Amino acid sequence: MLTRTDTHKAAACLALCGFFAASSAMAGDDATPDEWLDRMTGAVQTTDYEGTVVRMQDGKNEAFKVVHTVSDGVVREKVISQDGNGLEIIRNGNEVHCIFPDHKSVVVEEWNNQSTLFSTLPSSDIRFGSEYDVLIKGSDRVAGRKTVRLAVLPHDNYRYGYRIWLDVETGFPLQTQLIGDENEPLVQVKFADIRIHSEILASALVSSYSTDTWKWTDVPRRKVRRDVETDWVGDDIPVGFRVVSTKQEFLPDGGDAMTHILYSDGLATVSVFVASANDKHKAKRSHVGASNSYSTVIHGFRITAVGEVPEMTVEQIATSMHQRK
Amino acid sequence: MQVSAFVDGELPENEAELLVRRLSQDAVLRQQVAEYLAIGRVMRGEYSAQGSDVLRERIAAELDERPLQDVVDSVVRVKSARYVRPLAGFAIAASVALVAIIGLRQTVDLDIADTALVAEDVVSETVPVMNDDEELRQLLLLHSETSDSFNSRYTAAQILADELVEEPVEEDPESAEEADEVEPVTSQP
Repeated sequence: MLTRTDTHKAAACLALCGFFAASSAMAGDDATPDEWLDRMTGAVQTTDYEGTVVRMQDGKNEAFKVVHTVSDGVVREKVISQDGNGLEIIRNGNEVHCIFPDHKSVVVEEWNNQSTLFSTLPSSDIRFGSEYDVLIKGSDRVAGRKTVRLAVLPHDNYRYGYRIWLDVETGFPLQTQLIGDENEPLVQVKFADIRIHSEILASALVSSYSTDTWKWTDVPRRKVRRDVETDWVGDDIPVGFRVVSTKQEFLPDGGDAMTHILYSDGLATVSVFVASANDKHKAKRSHVGASNSYSTVIHGFRITAVGEVPEMTVEQIATSMHQRK
Repeated sequence: MQVSAFVDGELPENEAELLVRRLSQDAVLRQQVAEYLAIGRVMRGEYSAQGSDVLRERIAAELDERPLQDVVDSVVRVKSARYVRPLAGFAIAASVALVAIIGLRQTVDLDIADTALVAEDVVSETVPVMNDDEELRQLLLLHSETSDSFNSRYTAAQILADELVEEPVEEDPESAEEADEVEPVTSQP
């Protein structure tokens, strides 16, 4: 994993020193890591671009054509998978169309936040907690553009790290890696080519298909989530994680209400779902990509922890949950 | 680049063997090559390249020569590390670059994991997209709404795609409504 030992930390310091030596030759740009992150946040929210992205996860490479524009605060973007099922995701403000050519289907859903597909990092302020160090590790080239490479280094094994390559000119993230154990990327999103601030025609933001006769489906609005209080707490939650919300949720099958407790360390999030257990199944762990889950039954309740964190984290959180007396 | 020459069928056989051997032993290089091949395909507008498939197969064959005990030993080493990571996690984290270019199925590693985890009374599995654990998929979707990362959003979209797989394409909208409690929109928005 990333700099988890003193030796590694020393290496990181050396790398940082190396950066300062290198950065003096970098067009006079002496921005701090925090300043780079601020530039990145601004760039992600305001930059118009189109290009090709290659995403690596679970041993698979997948390429996407991407078009993105922001006008009067309204985000419009189109992402077309160049492989597999040819999925197209088209966003116009809060309305998102997922277009599945192989099924001749369009699924319409609503996103209630201002995030974009390529925010690349959770919107939480990563300086929220103190569980990570952010370092500048050097310069590089991505998609033919000069970049500065940042490393977000977790202090322990309970969370993943990041490497981020930011365009020197704009601060836009041209490449990100989610870093797991063994210091290897679990997920990588990288622009193979990009045109920043290029003029984007409206026609570039519509579907490539004529979907008039396809099946259109609205994702039904779920019942309104209510903030609730809960007597479920964790007594061995990894350091830095704290409860940021507790809500009541319902699954689409109309089952009983369950409690959704969201933990965050400022960058990584873990959801804990507490529901009545209808069975006494064994504990179960699973994963999709870099997301892990651990489910177990405690005193007649099924506890499931889910998050883009290592397996040990979801397991420790799930098994530490208990009802406050 | 040697890889390019290999994919184009222009690398002499003795150099090809060296390349395959080196790739089978160097995870970082494998990752770089996977990335190189993927980007090259995109730039050329290709979705697959016969030469890269051949390379993949040859590296897989090279690795297959490792005795099974080597694999088991590596698992044991991981379990005795600073903390005991579940083996399914090992399969993902340590082998991602390997899987990227060789296309090994995760289920191979998970089979080992399942055997080793019996004593813990824990079932370990990959959940994806075609998994029939509907509730867990729904929980993943709920969690993805707490994150605006591309990965979460894209995973959610692919989960939706799998739900579409489960119903016939030419389905009566009324029966679909009964089955999924999802209201189909038959008119254009």
